[in-house]
Amino acid sequence: MLSDFELELERTEGDIARFESGSGDLDKRTSYLFRLYHRATLCGDPAAFDRAEAEIDKTILRFGPQEDLCFLKAHLDFQLHRLDAVKRDLAMAPALAGRFEGRALQAEVDFQEGRYGQAKSEYERLIEENPTWDNLARLAHFKSKMGEMEEADELYFDAEDQLTAKEMRSFAWIELQRGVLDLSRGHYEHAAGHYDRARRAYSGYWVVDEHIAELLAARGKFSEALALYQSLVARVPKPELRQALGELYLFLGKPAQADPWLNVALAGYLDFARRSDARYGHHLSHFFSDVREDAKEALSWARKDIALRENFSTQAALAWALYRDNQVEAAVDTINQALASGVRDSGIFAQASTIFQAAGSTCESHQCLAMAVAINPYFRNFHIHR
Amino acid sequence: MADHNDPNAVNSIFSDIDHNAADLYDLFGFPSANTDGGEKVVIALTFASVPEAGVLDSDMLYRIRMAAHPRTVWPAKGEPTLDALLQYVEQAKVKYTGELKSSEIRVTIDKAQRATVRFINFPAGPFSTVVDLNKVVTIDCPDRHAIQAFIGGRDDAFFNDLPGFFRSINYAPQFYHVPHTMTEARELPIPKTLLELDGNDLFNFNPANPNHGNGVKLDLPPGPWTWKGNKFKKDANGNFRFVYSGIDAQAGKNINAIILEIPLAFITGAPETNRVVNTWGESWVLKAAHKIESIPDHPFWLEHPLALLDSITLDEELKKYKLVDTDGQPFADAALSEREDNRQLGANNFWLGPHFVKRLAHLGWGFGPSISALGLKTSFDHDNSPVSVHKTYALAAAAFPRVKKTLFQQLRLPDNTWNPKGLDIPFRRPFEIFVPNVCGIDMDTTGTWPFGRRLEDQVATRFLAMFLDMEAEFNGKKYHIELLNDQSLWDNAPIVPKTPPNPLKNDAAFSPNFPYLAAPWQA
Repeated sequence: MLSDFELELERTEGDIARFESGSGDLDKRTSYLFRLYHRATLCGDPAAFDRAEAEIDKTILRFGPQEDLCFLKAHLDFQLHRLDAVKRDLAMAPALAGRFEGRALQAEVDFQEGRYGQAKSEYERLIEENPTWDNLARLAHFKSKMGEMEEADELYFDAEDQLTAKEMRSFAWIELQRGVLDLSRGHYEHAAGHYDRARRAYSGYWVVDEHIAELLAARGKFSEALALYQSLVARVPKPELRQALGELYLFLGKPAQADPWLNVALAGYLDFARRSDARYGHHLSHFFSDVREDAKEALSWARKDIALRENFSTQAALAWALYRDNQVEAAVDTINQALASGVRDSGIFAQASTIFQAAGSTCESHQCLAMAVAINPYFRNFHIHR
Repeated sequence: MADHNDPNAVNSIFSDIDHNAADLYDLFGFPSANTDGGEKVVIALTFASVPEAGVLDSDMLYRIRMAAHPRTVWPAKGEPTLDALLQYVEQAKVKYTGELKSSEIRVTIDKAQRATVRFINFPAGPFSTVVDLNKVVTIDCPDRHAIQAFIGGRDDAFFNDLPGFFRSINYAPQFYHVPHTMTEARELPIPKTLLELDGNDLFNFNPANPNHGNGVKLDLPPGPWTWKGNKFKKDANGNFRFVYSGIDAQAGKNINAIILEIPLAFITGAPETNRVVNTWGESWVLKAAHKIESIPDHPFWLEHPLALLDSITLDEELKKYKLVDTDGQPFADAALSEREDNRQLGANNFWLGPHFVKRLAHLGWGFGPSISALGLKTSFDHDNSPVSVHKTYALAAAAFPRVKKTLFQQLRLPDNTWNPKGLDIPFRRPFEIFVPNVCGIDMDTTGTWPFGRRLEDQVATRFLAMFLDMEAEFNGKKYHIELLNDQSLWDNAPIVPKTPPNPLKNDAAFSPNFPYLAAPWQA
């Protein structure tokens, strides 16, 4: 029997085949493009995003900047962290940025570019106008990053309540976010409950398995985690999964087994980077900071990433790369910028603790370590870099 | 922040919005000709045939709600006023949301495509049964009444020139590629009309592209999407061009349906006094969170599905679903609620009272002058405008004087066949028909619209007849709601094509026997 994921993929492939021939009809063409994009997100295939993008560009050239097409292009660019492009896409169809959907995407850009108050206010306004599940989830994500975990979980719960049996993949995705909330606090049992609900809601979904694999490793169930990661890399071409598998081998003290996977992951990242594709800058910075230490490379990628989107996450990555490069003073300045955002993340606090320690600020270092432990007592357990 | 699987990745953004089984199409209701064992009422709720005709969606829950009560008569004397109308709306609201307890037939479908039918709040007490789809079945009730039921695929009983209707209201998505985000580009700000407007190039029939709006869509040109003309279009022979074609756009299409033939005495303990059965349908879809719960983990539930059903109280059951659509009166949503989803929910459309007045006036400024141009009398006061006007109202009080007669006039039927018993039953008035949004089946009539809705009623054309002045005469006879279906009217009118607006009958003949709707078309 086919899983929910396989059924949806089969349906999407069928739609793509059905709409592919209707190149002269804008409605069919638009449906075709949305399906291409949908297949790319379903499969997690970086190359599929490229194909969707090429087809979208061709269609805009042919039919002009139709709102649906510009909106789709903006979504795709957002996926790939090309925030300037998102803004250009939204501006291509003049009224789009003022639409409900355009405003939601603009608020996402604001969040990514560190305009936290602006992003939060717009999420709240949008929800007041129409509490759609995706905007509830956006605000929940915001609150989770700022440490308002209970409120975040309530918002995710409200988002779930908006979803019907026809949107089980979305429901599974929200269950995963709720699980991540628990995981980030070391509440493994609760996280497992959410992940299990996600699995039952939408079977066969690799995104669910990816989360379960991380949780298994965090709980010390390494052989099960390895088996699941092995199965994931066989099914999904994302380099991140290969890195996760390699990192788990490293965590287990098996560098020889880690290397092939890390090589493949790195090759994947660099392949996209060579094509001026910004999507993996963050991963590369992390890779060279922590996986295969090369401070200069880490710094270079962290700077590229922060040039695209300056927020607590890219600031923390840059601070960490600076620290690796022994630029401790600059690292302190940068991590202070990240912490000033109000972010409450055990990983960032742990990095801040190390940086402050290196700068001789023992008191701040202890405070940050205490914060990291308070948020997640098990923050040193295996985790992947989200 | 680096997670690539943010909500955008899983959000069902546009162009993947499919038809779904929650789309309710029509609610038919009329007294059955079969009176063996007592009077019976036929109720048929039709909806989109998703996944396909004869196969129903197991995530759906359908409710057919009903309440029987005595016939009420509009008591107002003297000049009708807006206050009196709003008072009527308020009283109806109190009645429907408070004192009146509706009964309900609730239908869900299991994975094996068997329907569970629950009867709630009927005098016989609650009970349920499981029936096969696509078969006429008899449901024996605890009080010894028998209900005929059919749940499954049929021919779509709605016969209508929908493209014509959309042309009349300048509904762009029927004619143009309109992105989902562009909500302002649906009903374009061009006068509603029954006759083509001179220079309305966006919507006028184009012989070079005869299928535009009927399957063919063009790119929406840049705005402004307004009309600058000042007259109706006429051809070289001085004929107007009708926006309607009379062609059945629903021909050959299937629907899924819940069709019931119910003894009146089963619905009410006082069938002799409760002569009007008000009914409406609702579609509900299972919430995602509850679909998880219904995925059985334990073999017990697989072996004893009824035990699971019995363990759930009915109110608890409904909490697991989300109301999606409601259907009572034809055109209550499509014509009077501007097709806004948030106005299509709930038969208790009482809050729409003032909106109803404003919307009807907006339509009247379009249809009223069209009717006058054809030499007919209209119920709408358009100040003898020679052409349709695009006008909207912010206040019901400003709209009311224009629309007063349209709202309050009695809608006459062409002869007395609707009233076989010859009882003193007044004709219905538009405001009584549409507020609340229920199908009021008068058991002492044939149930022809607006005394219910029979399958053969051409309700779209009857809806337009609201804008005729029912006091006027045509060929020595008072106007009536079938007048626009009279071919002789069009034969003598300066218009092409010479056809009633909508087809006069369904593409497939109705059956004289239950379930009445024709068998589905084979793929």
